[in-house]
Amino acid sequence: MRPPLPEILGASDLVVELGGRRGLLRRRAGVRAVDGVDISIAEGETFGIVGESGCGKTTLARALLGLQRETAGDVRLQGRRVSGLDPRAARHVREAVQYVHQDPGAALDPWWRVGATLAEGLAIHGVTDRTDQRARIAEILAAVGLDAAMAEHYPHELSGGQQRRIGLARILLLRPKIVILDEPTAGLDLSVQAAVLRLLRDLRARFGLTYVFISHDLSVVRRVCDRVAVMYLGRIVEQGSTATLFAEPRHPYTRALIAAAPHLDGRESGPSLPGDPPSLRAIPLGCRFHPRCAAAADTCARREPVLEQSGAAHAVACLRWRDLDAA
Amino acid sequence: MTALRLLLRDRVAAFGGLIVLFALVVAIFAPWIAPYPDDAFESHIMQRLRPPSAAFPFGTDNLGRDILSRVILGTRNALLVAVAVVLAAMAIGVPIGLAAGWREGWLSETLMRVTDVFLAVPQLILALALGQLIAPGIGAAMVALALTYWPFFARTVFAETRRLRSALFVDALAGIGASPARILLLHVLPNAAPAVLVRATIGMGFTILTAAILGFLGVGAAPPSPDWGLAVSEARQHLPEAWWFPTFPGLAILLLVLGFNLLGDGLRDAADPRLRRSRR
Amino acid sequence: MTAPVLQVEGLAVHLRGESGVARILDDVSLTLPRGGTLGVVGESGCGKSTLLRAILGILPRGAETPTGAILFEGRDILSDHAESARGRIGFVPQDPYLSLNPVFRAGDQILEIMRRHAPGSRRDHRDRLVELFRAVQLPDPEAALRKYPHQFSGGQRQRLLIAAALACDPALVVADEPTTALDVTTQREILALLRSLVTERGLSLLFVTHDFGVLASVCTEVAVLYAGRVAEAGPTRAVLDAPRHPYTRLLLACHPDRATDLAGIPGTVPAATAQPPGCRFHPRCPVVHSGCAVEVPTMVALGAGRAVACPWHEAALA
Repeated sequence: MRPPLPEILGASDLVVELGGRRGLLRRRAGVRAVDGVDISIAEGETFGIVGESGCGKTTLARALLGLQRETAGDVRLQGRRVSGLDPRAARHVREAVQYVHQDPGAALDPWWRVGATLAEGLAIHGVTDRTDQRARIAEILAAVGLDAAMAEHYPHELSGGQQRRIGLARILLLRPKIVILDEPTAGLDLSVQAAVLRLLRDLRARFGLTYVFISHDLSVVRRVCDRVAVMYLGRIVEQGSTATLFAEPRHPYTRALIAAAPHLDGRESGPSLPGDPPSLRAIPLGCRFHPRCAAAADTCARREPVLEQSGAAHAVACLRWRDLDAA
Repeated sequence: MTALRLLLRDRVAAFGGLIVLFALVVAIFAPWIAPYPDDAFESHIMQRLRPPSAAFPFGTDNLGRDILSRVILGTRNALLVAVAVVLAAMAIGVPIGLAAGWREGWLSETLMRVTDVFLAVPQLILALALGQLIAPGIGAAMVALALTYWPFFARTVFAETRRLRSALFVDALAGIGASPARILLLHVLPNAAPAVLVRATIGMGFTILTAAILGFLGVGAAPPSPDWGLAVSEARQHLPEAWWFPTFPGLAILLLVLGFNLLGDGLRDAADPRLRRSRR
Repeated sequence: MTAPVLQVEGLAVHLRGESGVARILDDVSLTLPRGGTLGVVGESGCGKSTLLRAILGILPRGAETPTGAILFEGRDILSDHAESARGRIGFVPQDPYLSLNPVFRAGDQILEIMRRHAPGSRRDHRDRLVELFRAVQLPDPEAALRKYPHQFSGGQRQRLLIAAALACDPALVVADEPTTALDVTTQREILALLRSLVTERGLSLLFVTHDFGVLASVCTEVAVLYAGRVAEAGPTRAVLDAPRHPYTRLLLACHPDRATDLAGIPGTVPAATAQPPGCRFHPRCPVVHSGCAVEVPTMVALGAGRAVACPWHEAALA
């Protein structure tokens, strides 16, 4: 087996609390959107983070990026500790990590020409010479499959697909090593989805990128990711190589997720998951998932499971994983 | 720009714009358009209170001055006052709105409460009070108007800054390492500009009307200034015989305020980003 | 054989705008048998939303008078903007977060619909509503009557909207992508609910979606739309397992369940104002022939209820 590649981005015991308010007279506790996450992303891989709404994957992404300050825990970038800084300083230190919004076209200032937007990123990072900027912009536009003349247009004059490519170009100009993609295929038509994934794959090869791929769409994650982590209510409940995780999901939540995705052949399989996830303000005691878990036992309401190795490249946080049948 | 095209398609707003443009031309060329430019300060008692005629299309006032000329000359005053007040109010209100909107915390709260206080002050009372402190006249009136109008700009810019703060492109800019100063000045401000422009246009109309009221009450422009409000005030004791005396200055006020308001409304519709974005 | 509950015949909807005439729908024909489930599937720009609006009688004002016919229970509802069908067609909208007025209680909003279209006293309506809430599996139906929309979760709100659609005991329920805004586990529950409601109440369901997986789990029949025209129609299993129209075949090949590589479909969907002549898919089609740019393809019946709008449906893709 190949030796594992070096870690390029990682976090230990990461906790992110949101929404806490400190008034003159009283404090209101926030919610722990991310509650004790250990994650290690290897150089060059595509690491998927899946989960449904409220699981904390977007908050985790923003904490890795630095735009969201950690409440506790460490973040490491290429071996160095980079946590504990305010957003501006964090972004400066973690320049090698860039973030692509779900709709990168909407992330363009509508009053600026697209070329100016692209040049601005370069200017902020010290490339102020006009000819230098123009050369780099032309190169990047070609890499994302756009004509250099696009630079003269305003965002609203471009199609959604073109806007999306400009959004990608903008962060690629900054020569990142790690790109966090937040729901890159959500809401896209099937044919457009394929084109976007192909573009991402080509860019990864061309620029030697590492991807953190956040998505709620399991079928896409299965296609493009090397490793996957499944999140529920702020914690990682299962993690492993894509092949292993989808072939032998061990956590009941993962199984429910995989079973819930509608298949082209119309078949239904696996356990369903009734009800809604509890609010982050009322996290169940013991295993967070136990109230909705078909396989819950008494211990599950008392003890919190931790991630433990269940195979060569597979970890699961469930007290009963050994007892449950393989799917 | 597409906004301009949309505006022109809105007939009512275009009409308002035409009025404003017309007033602007009149104001710039006033001394040359007015048939009796000296009537700004000279009086001809022999011709007092003549009804409208060929020689005096709007009639003459109580001091025999040609009302048409004084209305034309008064346009200059009205516009100058309005522009000065609006610019001053913007200079105070926009930075306050930006600072209050950008971050949450005690600074933001304090600034917005100060804004509320100034909003609560009635302009006329303030003008009267300032008139006592400084010399009464158009200067004091302008200070009073600026001091009571800047909160509208502050509120508008505050709302825009708050809205834009959570805009995706602002988040993206923070992501690529842009400083708050850069984001505020180069991105938030231009995006807030349409709202500020709309507020400024309506503010022009509002100021002209209020300045006229102050002139009417005697705490604004002083005689022999060709101020429209002052003219209406001077006309009071000559009613109902000299009907032409207050009518034409009054109509001028009406028309110009209407023009600015219609234009402002149209600008508000044209500046709607949703309309701009669906240009394709 | 009973008459189909909904029959669309040769529907054409054109919109006159500043950049020309947008031919949003052209010669669209579908049939929904009583008690059946028909899925209308297509990508953005295919016209499925406009088709829905035409059925509901809410086409935009700028639309030229649509041609063709929409027969609901035998009566044409196109010409009277579905007035005669009020209360007989239920609508489940897409976004459960935007479709309910946040300042009124959810129960009151649905009761208002009932008052408008269904006979009965206040008490009758209230009892019916509780029964409906139970039918859509809302927890604690009595208490739910008094709650405001924000007090429900996304999945529960979608159940509310389904209850609203059923409020007047409609013959036809039209659903516009009712699960796109929901998590996948919630989606599964809602789709199961829809299936059970169809069988229990003998509803006819018209389901608009862009997701083939969702379509496969709810609908027995499917119509595939492309650029305002029907490309292919027939029983869901037959169409999904063995698609015939080149567009359907290319599109299904993009689905992650089937995709071998990230092929995609070359080109882009044409703008409604600039539709290609002849077959609208011909600029992107791998089996294009000389006649495709000239003649608009007619629906070819393939037997067993299938039809495809392509004379070259037998050809192998390159």
